Amino acid sequence: MSTYRRYDEVAVGDVYPAEPLTFDVSAEVVDGFLSATGNDGLLYRELGGTRRAPSMIASAYLIDLLIARRSPPGGIHAKQSIRFHRPIEVGEKLSIQGTVVEKYVRKERSYVVSSFEARGADGTLVSSGHITSIWGKDL
Amino acid sequence: MNPVAGALSREATQVAVGDTLPMLTRSITQDMIDAYAEATGDFNPIHVDPEYSKSGPFGRTIAHGLMTLAFVAQMLNEWSDGRFDESGEVDIAFVGPVFVGDTVEVTGSVDQIVDRDGIASARVKLTCRAGERQILAGHALQPIENGKS
Repeated sequence: MSTYRRYDEVAVGDVYPAEPLTFDVSAEVVDGFLSATGNDGLLYRELGGTRRAPSMIASAYLIDLLIARRSPPGGIHAKQSIRFHRPIEVGEKLSIQGTVVEKYVRKERSYVVSSFEARGADGTLVSSGHITSIWGKDL
Repeated sequence: MNPVAGALSREATQVAVGDTLPMLTRSITQDMIDAYAEATGDFNPIHVDPEYSKSGPFGRTIAHGLMTLAFVAQMLNEWSDGRFDESGEVDIAFVGPVFVGDTVEVTGSVDQIVDRDGIASARVKLTCRAGERQILAGHALQPIENGKS
């Protein structure tokens, strides 16, 4: 049996994962992200004992979220909205969860729209938004 | 308040409709795509497996859409002296693929000053191209105070 979900198994209202996943904003993750995106990291140097992390480290935790959705490989990220509610710092632990809010087929492509929220350990909202994906071919 | 908030030294910039944002340029290599996959855990074969990608919709690997969005965020942070990380917002569609060998150019222009939750915010029309190809389309919102980003 495939570990991936079929498109017809996805329903509006699905929450994934069942319990929010956690994401450690480690120095290693931040350094890897800055290096891969050619960012010299001037904004992200340690200052007064704290070190800010780039907001778009969201790229990493959103992928973890999409993996938790168990969509098959070959899917395409079609649209993205994201709002940042506060800065984050290296060393934080975030909790992320998504909800399927829309499904539709257009031009023979199967779309899934999810909302998501990422929160800090204190419960404060870090980011929120929507991801629109073209579902990969069912396996 | 998060201790990082407001910790950066910034030079305020006056914001007005018609302002053009700085341009950020990145040349895309498979090594860069692979490094991004390592950094984010996104090993979708459409990005990292040239053999698999031959039978895909583009016939070759493409860069991660969120990598291009990271370039957009970097440009917006340069423009806003880091405020994008604190309170910025983007709403975009990925309208074209980024291939190995492309040079991606990201910029934007302020097309409106709008109200977001009672705070004046600059709406930025984003421009992202690889040569003549449009890569993404959409807007960013950046709260401003007293006409400054």
